[in-house]
Amino acid sequence: MSAYAAFVRSGFLTSFAYRNDVWANIFGKLVQVFARVAIWLAVYAGATMVDGISIQDMITYALLGGVVMGATRYDRIVRHVGNALKTGDVAIWLLKPVHYPLYLLAIEAGASAYTFLLAVVPTIVIVALVYGMYPPTSLFHGVIFIAFCALSFLIHFLCAAIFGILAFWLMTVFSLEWLLQSLITLLSGMLIPFWFFPEPFGTIAAHQPLAWLVYYPSAVWLGRFDIPQTLFYFGLGLAWTVLLAFVLALLWRRAANRITVQGG
Amino acid sequence: MTALIEARGISKRFRQHKRFPGLLGAFKSLVTTEYTEVTAVSDISFDITAGEAVGYLGPNGAGKSTMIKMMTGILLPSAGTLSVLGRTPHAERMANARQIGVVFGQRSQLWWDLPLLDSFTLHQRIYEIPAARYQDNLKRFSALLDLTPFLDRAVRQLSLGQRMRAEIVMSLLHDPKILFLDEPTIGLDVVAKDAVRKFLAEINRERGVTIILTTHDLQDIETICPRLIMVDQARLIFDGELTRLRSALGSARRLTLEFASDPGPVPLSSATLTSDEGLRKHYLLERDDVSLVQVLGEVGSDRDLKDVALHEPDIEEVIRTFYQRRNAAAAAAQ
Ligand SMILES: Nc1ncnc2c1ncn2[C@@H]1O[C@H](COP(=O)(O)OP(=O)(O)OP(=O)(O)O)[C@@H](O)[C@H]1O
Ligand SMILES: [Mg+2]
Repeated sequence: MSAYAAFVRSGFLTSFAYRNDVWANIFGKLVQVFARVAIWLAVYAGATMVDGISIQDMITYALLGGVVMGATRYDRIVRHVGNALKTGDVAIWLLKPVHYPLYLLAIEAGASAYTFLLAVVPTIVIVALVYGMYPPTSLFHGVIFIAFCALSFLIHFLCAAIFGILAFWLMTVFSLEWLLQSLITLLSGMLIPFWFFPEPFGTIAAHQPLAWLVYYPSAVWLGRFDIPQTLFYFGLGLAWTVLLAFVLALLWRRAANRITVQGG
Repeated sequence: MTALIEARGISKRFRQHKRFPGLLGAFKSLVTTEYTEVTAVSDISFDITAGEAVGYLGPNGAGKSTMIKMMTGILLPSAGTLSVLGRTPHAERMANARQIGVVFGQRSQLWWDLPLLDSFTLHQRIYEIPAARYQDNLKRFSALLDLTPFLDRAVRQLSLGQRMRAEIVMSLLHDPKILFLDEPTIGLDVVAKDAVRKFLAEINRERGVTIILTTHDLQDIETICPRLIMVDQARLIFDGELTRLRSALGSARRLTLEFASDPGPVPLSSATLTSDEGLRKHYLLERDDVSLVQVLGEVGSDRDLKDVALHEPDIEEVIRTFYQRRNAAAAAAQ
């Protein structure tokens, strides 16, 4: 087992140390998903179709938002990275034959897997039983949905880690966490899918990286795109991932450099 | 023998942005570009060869931690050249990391929420330690430091002393050639300090691990480190054997003679009288080549001598004498 696989495992096990959080987590998620479903029921107010989108589509969309956004926690990542840099604890990672950003990714993958299995899956099952949920449009859409989920996790992680490292130069960890939260709420499509945005905002929103957090995985499940379009947006998401990974690597190098030259 | 660590004219300067006190000062600090420069390490050179145990000693802020950070590669020197195991530590941090062990008394490297054993297993993965080797080291070090009962305890539930012993065990699992310890005995009680010291001395002796440790506790140095490097205000002020410091300072041995009946004044050519309580007389033996036998010969057998006590100066005294003389010399030079 490589060091990084061991980190994934310990991320998972560390979450286990806070077993009681699981129940709080499940309850919190249930409330969130119910709230979003309730909002859409209110918005539709008895209508079955708005702009060619059915209420059942929207309930499924709300549930999928819970699936892709439920496990990874940007706040945890921003805080983890930001505090490690501000307190100087990150120095111990400079002492080990390990790449710090990859270590973070591995830890987060483990912690997310934990939340996914113990909080997200039960929540979604409960809500789906109450309100019903569409299956993926086709086998293709179902399979590529999983790939989009992986992309969602990666972009989510990269953005949060970048914000965490920025705390080194810009402002408090708290304000960056808050800023990212606002951006994600608006630009991931979690609250309102982009097809309800007025143009040109819908088009703009659909091309920025946070769109891959919720909007694309959910839209793909619902069959909003045909196969070539789906593959195109997957490629575009991949390109964003590479670019963000590059930015993170660059920022980390500058931060590490500042620590070793200026002593933090 | 070639040196494991070569430091040549190492300096480290930190820039600190000027901060001004008070509310107005806070605003002033926001816009000012002024900074003060702190020299933490100034023109320090030394060589350390394989198998040595070196104590790095100095008052608060003398630059000890800074020097350790430079040798481990997490700080870049401002000037000078540094070579550790033939590499420049900062440039080849990863390669360097595999062959050194580091313990910071003030900063834990253990995984807070996991059982202690999990921290060790993670360490094994990170350093790719072969399983047999790892098991062997783990068993031996844990036994030596009485850590075995705590292996399945979560780290956050360990006491400071247990945790520090765990940090030391972990730092040695990958068989490092050099072990750096920054204040490893800080906050430990007498028993724990003693266990740590004995362990480090043994690791150094039996395994030939080179040890460099900073401390404020002179007992650490006395037990573990034959060689002492002293720094003060960023500069090196002494580098050599502890015994050499002792003899160079000639820190006098103290002699107490106790008589059954008051013999009156007993002047000795080989020792200086410091206080006379009648029955009990205290002397300083300033010269090293004077033996107890010689002194007793001079006292003679006709005086009613009951008891003799000779005190070797302890390390605290030696260091105190050293700083006093230095300060006196500095004052005289002004
Ligand atoms: N990152 C930094 N930025 C600015 N100044 C620093 C930094 N690190 C250390 N210094 C300064 O450098 C000097 C030496 O610090 P250092 O931590 O090396 O001392 P030390 O000998 O380890 O002291 P102690 O015995 O208290 O641990 C101090 O004056 C300290 O304020
Ligand atoms: Mg220090």
